[in-house]
Amino acid sequence: MQLSVTPARSSAFVCGLAIVVVAWSSHVSAQVRASTTATYYRESGANLSHQAITPSVRVSGVVRDVVSLRLGWDADVVSGASVAVVDAPGGEVDAITSATKWNDFRNNVTGGIGVRGEFTSLDVSYTWGRESDYRSHSFTITGRAELFDRNTTLELGYGRGFDQVCNLAQPRAQEPVDRQRLPSSDGCFDADDRESLDLSLQTFRGGWTQAWTPIFATQLSVSAQVINGFQGNPYRAVWLGRAAAQENHPENRVRYVGNLGARLWVQPLRGALQLGGRVYRDTWDVFSVTAELAWEQRLWEGLSVRLRGRYYNQTGAHFFSDDYGRAPRGQYFTGDRELSPMSSWLAGGRVRLDLPAGDDGKVGPFAAFAIVGVFDMLFYDFREFRYGRREVPNDKGMLATLSLEAEF
Amino acid sequence: MSLRAFGVFGILALAACSTVRPEEKEFLAQPSMTFGSGGEDAAQEDHVISNREGSYGGGGVSGGGCGCN
Repeated sequence: MQLSVTPARSSAFVCGLAIVVVAWSSHVSAQVRASTTATYYRESGANLSHQAITPSVRVSGVVRDVVSLRLGWDADVVSGASVAVVDAPGGEVDAITSATKWNDFRNNVTGGIGVRGEFTSLDVSYTWGRESDYRSHSFTITGRAELFDRNTTLELGYGRGFDQVCNLAQPRAQEPVDRQRLPSSDGCFDADDRESLDLSLQTFRGGWTQAWTPIFATQLSVSAQVINGFQGNPYRAVWLGRAAAQENHPENRVRYVGNLGARLWVQPLRGALQLGGRVYRDTWDVFSVTAELAWEQRLWEGLSVRLRGRYYNQTGAHFFSDDYGRAPRGQYFTGDRELSPMSSWLAGGRVRLDLPAGDDGKVGPFAAFAIVGVFDMLFYDFREFRYGRREVPNDKGMLATLSLEAEF
Repeated sequence: MSLRAFGVFGILALAACSTVRPEEKEFLAQPSMTFGSGGEDAAQEDHVISNREGSYGGGGVSGGGCGCN
């Protein structure tokens, strides 16, 4: 018997677990936090669109400052209209007008446990993910140590993921140029004309957080990720000059990431300047830099505002071409606009309101309660990517988030 | 290997020079000064934005779907 996972079942499962955790935690007098968050993202232009709604529920409890438990559920409800065959000849086929509509629903359920000593901690977690055409299991383990009067925190982490991607079974297609795209997720992981392809992920991460002065702290982290398996989009095909074939990405990819963040407290303004930089490089020859600047200001007791600007720029993958008929790039081909040279700007803000406590030190039934709102605008620039002869029309995005946080 | 050992030793030596006493950490303890204090809303924001870029991830292994469409 196969258990089908629906949004109602997932949320009921997590709510049930949450009630168990809250009941258990109150029994052993623990500190419990719960939050529910929903994010809405939308970009559109011409006939192309992409929208995602991401709800989540998180519950965590700490018992006697030693053991922590975490449970969570989140989902991606994604829909839109996209080009199924990228780089169709511009003069003959209007790929954008003939965009195909699609939608998908992904569930993630996560659980974790942590053990904390006086200066060290160890956390492990497991996440189960499922959508109609994708399944995943991932494990992480993270160790931390605080040194030098807790001014230094060193962190080491390792993650392992085991994913499966649905694809069209095509045993007679011996060459990548003969492969057809997956028309829909119908029958995935069940039907004979579908196959399941493995994707393996390993991540290594190290971090160093340092308090340098009473008003200045930095965080440096480096990570490497090794991915092996099917990494293309099975639904997308690329026009190769005489025919279209399912996009074909290399099976191996190694990513290297370096992050540096800094926080400076400006006492005359009672606010914090937040700086961030990220450098990324991978074996597909994608190189990117990200720069971020933010200012977080407490306006009055319980109300804080954060304004944020972010710039992102990347090079294209070595096998990217905007016309594989005239400029092929060897055995690989892609229709992914995110593997082309691109940049983006983000401008946004965040407001957090911690509701004031009453005379009994509580906020209604809660020990604390906060409301968080986020709004971002994104502007993309795809320098070389075209749908036929047309530039990417959906190059602006809007993101809005509402979050409620409670402490028991 | 000796280079890595030198790097770790260098970090520890540099970190040991820092002398912020516990009673001086009033501002460092503010949420706006704490790394990773953004909560679930920040995690979702990063998740959505990074899914529209080619250099997403690298820091975790959670199942991300195929980024289809």
